[in-house]
Amino acid sequence: MANGVSATPTLSVRQATKQFGGSLALCDVDLDLWPGEAHALVGENGAGKSTLIKLITGVHQPDGGEVLHHGEVVHFPTPRDAQLHGIQTIYQEVHLAPQLSIARNVFLGREPTRFGSLDLKRMNREAAALLGRYGIVADVRRPLGGLSLGVQQMIAVVRAVSTDASVVIMDEPTSSLEPREVDKLLEVVGLLKQQGVAVVYVSHKLEEVFRACDKITVLRDGRLVWTGAVTDTTRRQLISRMLGRDPGELGNGKITHLGRAPVERGEVPVLAAQHLTRRFVLDDISLLLHPGEVVGLAGLLGSGRSETAKAIFGALALDSGTVEFCGKRFPRSTPASRLHSGVAMLPEDRKVEGIIPELSIRDNIGLAALPMLSRRGFVSRRKQAEIVDTFITRLHIKATGPEQKVAELSGGNQQKVLLARMLCLSPKVLLLDEPTRGIDVGAKAEVQALIADLAAKGLGVVLISSELEEIVEGSDTVLVLRDGTALGTLFGDEIDESAIMTMIAGAAEHDTAELIA
Amino acid sequence: MTSTAAHTVGRSATHGWEDITSWVRQRGVYIALALVILYNVIFTAHFNQWDTVQLLFAQMPPVLIVSMGMALVIGTGGIDLSVGATMAIASAVLAKFVAPASSHGLGSPIALAIAMALLAGLAVGVFNGTVVAVGRVQPIVATLSLLVAGRGVALVITGGALVELFDPFLKVVRQGQVFGIADVMIVAAAIAVVVSVLVRRTTLGYRLVAIGGNRRAAVLAGVPVRSTLITVYAISGVFAAVAGLIATARLRASDPSYIGLLMELSAITAVVVGGTPLKGGQVRVLGTVAGAVLMQLLQTTLLAHNIPNSVSEMVEALIIVAAVYIQRPSRSAA
Amino acid sequence: MKIRRTAATVTVASMTLLFSCGSSKTTSTASTSANPATTAAGTAGTAAGTATTTSAATAATSAGTAAAAGGDIPSAIKAAGGTSKIAGAPAAGIEAQYGPICKGADLGIGKIDFTKDTIGWAQSEKEANPFRIASTKSQVDEAKKRNIKLLTTNAQSDAQQENTDIKGMIDKGAKAIIFSPINSTGLGDAIAYAKSKHVAMIPVDRNITGVKGCADVGPQLGSDFVLQGRRAADAMIKATGGTAKLAILLGASGVNVTDDRTAGFKAELKDKNASGIQIVFEQTADFTREKGKSVTETLLQAHPDVTAIYAENDEMGLGALAALDDKGMSGIAKVHIVSIDGTKGAVQAIVDGNFDAVIESNPAYGPTAFAALDAYVNGDGAPAVTITTDNQYDKSNAQQALDSGTAY
Repeated sequence: MANGVSATPTLSVRQATKQFGGSLALCDVDLDLWPGEAHALVGENGAGKSTLIKLITGVHQPDGGEVLHHGEVVHFPTPRDAQLHGIQTIYQEVHLAPQLSIARNVFLGREPTRFGSLDLKRMNREAAALLGRYGIVADVRRPLGGLSLGVQQMIAVVRAVSTDASVVIMDEPTSSLEPREVDKLLEVVGLLKQQGVAVVYVSHKLEEVFRACDKITVLRDGRLVWTGAVTDTTRRQLISRMLGRDPGELGNGKITHLGRAPVERGEVPVLAAQHLTRRFVLDDISLLLHPGEVVGLAGLLGSGRSETAKAIFGALALDSGTVEFCGKRFPRSTPASRLHSGVAMLPEDRKVEGIIPELSIRDNIGLAALPMLSRRGFVSRRKQAEIVDTFITRLHIKATGPEQKVAELSGGNQQKVLLARMLCLSPKVLLLDEPTRGIDVGAKAEVQALIADLAAKGLGVVLISSELEEIVEGSDTVLVLRDGTALGTLFGDEIDESAIMTMIAGAAEHDTAELIA
Repeated sequence: MTSTAAHTVGRSATHGWEDITSWVRQRGVYIALALVILYNVIFTAHFNQWDTVQLLFAQMPPVLIVSMGMALVIGTGGIDLSVGATMAIASAVLAKFVAPASSHGLGSPIALAIAMALLAGLAVGVFNGTVVAVGRVQPIVATLSLLVAGRGVALVITGGALVELFDPFLKVVRQGQVFGIADVMIVAAAIAVVVSVLVRRTTLGYRLVAIGGNRRAAVLAGVPVRSTLITVYAISGVFAAVAGLIATARLRASDPSYIGLLMELSAITAVVVGGTPLKGGQVRVLGTVAGAVLMQLLQTTLLAHNIPNSVSEMVEALIIVAAVYIQRPSRSAA
Repeated sequence: MKIRRTAATVTVASMTLLFSCGSSKTTSTASTSANPATTAAGTAGTAAGTATTTSAATAATSAGTAAAAGGDIPSAIKAAGGTSKIAGAPAAGIEAQYGPICKGADLGIGKIDFTKDTIGWAQSEKEANPFRIASTKSQVDEAKKRNIKLLTTNAQSDAQQENTDIKGMIDKGAKAIIFSPINSTGLGDAIAYAKSKHVAMIPVDRNITGVKGCADVGPQLGSDFVLQGRRAADAMIKATGGTAKLAILLGASGVNVTDDRTAGFKAELKDKNASGIQIVFEQTADFTREKGKSVTETLLQAHPDVTAIYAENDEMGLGALAALDDKGMSGIAKVHIVSIDGTKGAVQAIVDGNFDAVIESNPAYGPTAFAALDAYVNGDGAPAVTITTDNQYDKSNAQQALDSGTAY
């Protein structure tokens, strides 16, 4: 079967569509997985990668479209059904039993038996043979938990393929691996291809994509942007597709900065972050922010853009580096003290780090401002109502009333609630991490206008976005990041998508060259 | 999940029914309580008397008070398994201070003894809160340690045996009444009111449910998570101490082996039956009170009808499951 | 449960719970009452001595296959290795004795010089209640009286700990171990170790069951809980004149001592045709004072006309008394109370006119145990199972029991 020519793909997805509570997570997406091919799935957060995978693996059911297995329409009501069709998934975290032996883990759920009882000898022998085939040398009787994460990951892969898998899906498999382990894993991908397995490789690390994969599919905002052979695209083109602009369009006329006057930078920046460093995350990042200025942080997922914001906000411990506010260092490094000083942050992941879903709009908005709204620990209902009503009106939050649970709101309105939570503190610096992700077009325009308005009123804004367009249009200054390092800063008229992408891609190209050499 | 359109249609068609089920869902505990009372009124001899209420008022306060602290802790997404042991510690400290030298006590004035007992409860609570908030140990594990060790501490304090206490103030606690209502019940009611105000009107109340609802989000919204958690566990510890003192006064003795035994389970049951979700993010004070009354009344009812122990345990379990099932979050919200 | 031992090759066959409080719902419930009794200290030694002499003849009928293993030997006794009733009137303080006669020499146990050798005492549960306190005190006092060097341990309700404790004392040179087993089973490890080291083992209080008489452990001492229940019933009939609306406060559920004391009580009411005593209420109060009180409060609410309470231990009885007192119903003129254990608090309640009678379950087996040990290793042997007599208190002897310290 290896390298054999097949007329039909192992697995196909046709016009898959999936909605979650009114928002479209996936729209008309096609995907063909051929035997012996590694197919990369790339895109920024919220692009629909994980939704697509969940449709293939039976975690979710599509609202529209279909899944074909060897050309026949199939339904996977549960993940188990997908597994029975030879579709195996390997996640970022190893989903195995660390206290059981390696052999037990490899054969978990399908242990060889002899006269009805576990045939340990056979199991150990077969497990050792299997691992050997993938170049893994380990005592299979030892507990899995004693191995490094990389080897555990590899064993998860072996376990998956030993079940006669025809499709193996790897979801960010290298995110916790060391470089040497990554090499090993990519070797295994090669072996899988030789055996005629169709591999889906989800990663935001483009080097790996270019090294290991044959085809690439780019998703953005739940839609298929591009699909084709690795050889048919350049790194730069890929980045631009992910970040939201067709390469052809690039450089065709610059977009105005939302009609704002150029920012006048005073003597003292409102925020000065110097040499922010945290091992493996941030490497000597510096950033100056003046009143009325919008500094955009551009870069791919994993470039350190969110981490920079969190470090400034005191939510990420640093190995070294300082953050000064109006020329003074913060007394303590906690979000609470930053908020108290006037630095507010809108977190990247609204659901995980932002909203408190079961609480009302009122309680969500008022949460950060509690010290202002209370005397001797007692909250003034009147003050709270005033502020909450003001912001519901000002930000056009659509809800049945301030008592409505935030969980029941649309994404855009949830985001506005979080903005209101920050704005009612009257901050001087706003750190906005993906302020418009996953919200509808109308709300998006409102939020973008609000940002411009706030900056015009003298707030310093740090803006992070996966959409390059948003960064380019909204920023006075852009800091370009990659792998936790600053590649450069663009000011005013220098800012355009082409320049940013060139910087990111240039660095990537450079890295790959080093790797090959 | 169905599409939005289909969902909307489905909802309007069954509008009335959904209203009824959601009404029931939110009030499961009150409905169950009403049913148990109704059953008693009809079938239980000597139930329709003021004496019945008096008895309830005499027996309820410890579990009610402990449940109030437990509700706050559960609101933060935690749990306090040490409350029963804390009751025993408070009881033992009281006995140690107030008992005369002939019973190996210190013979201190009752006021000092009570203060020390409350302080012991506070210390236990602060310890729990610190382990949970600063040590980032799972609450169930953190408080389990004192569930196991706390009673041992209590036994060491009293020297092991039951100590009978004859202080006149304890008799006041046991038998005192204000306008015909047991004074311990008034204390319990006052605590319930305080907790209710705390939850609805104070920064502490707002913050603790935020932590329970989404701890990461709370941190990023500037909520002082550590001090909030420590305070909440400390409150639970002090409430448990108060309950321990009342139980001691009721028994006329400090019995560290048994005071508050399995109280953690009764309190958790009251909270959960009262509609507070175990995952935190919500505190239902009145529901918890109703839950505690329901469980107590249920036990009394089964006892009064002389139902064998094994059967009563099953009936109680059944009621718990039913009450929690009725109040489960609706699927549409999830 | 078969217990395979590594320390020695002996296998103690399946052991079940015999007379005693046995495994309990909570670690300490079982300790609330129980066990073997002897008469007051002084007479006990002679009592055991006499018993040994009386039974010498029976011993000749050879161990194990006693012909008299007919219907009159309770199964609990058989489980503990007693296969034949020893004829003749037992000595004072002893209810009954069952053969075969155990001799230490048969297990290769040498004579013990009480003036030089060390003896070990292994307590099972923490001394947190009168019964356990008195139980340990009795051993320590007796050792002191005989001037014996005694090692003591407490397993804090952990069977594994008790195994370790016993083996530890043997390693420290104890020539004999008197022990209160946590459970009738589960000490196989320690027993095997003792056997391999030829150390005498004397179980008191709860007995080791599922043993062949004398083969694994030495003479055992215990109480008869069924009999305690019967005697409580007799006392109740006497106190109420045979007419009462009676409530029973049961011990912890699923515990042998509860079942035995209930069964004995009811059987005796039936045997004595006490149909005037009507049982209107029967609920567990877990052997604790707190539950005794709250259950009684509910009882009084539902059955205000109750006239008598049988509490299966003193603590529940005292809880009931507290509940009655709160309602102004204390005193035997209003509600009769009979309980089992014989603790000071309950005996005092007799003096105060609140309890009618208390059946003792005497923990003071120190004197009997040392006497049995002496006979076992140095004398003619001791019976496999000895059931000791419990005292009984009522108005006539309560004050005296408090004064003399018999009530523990």
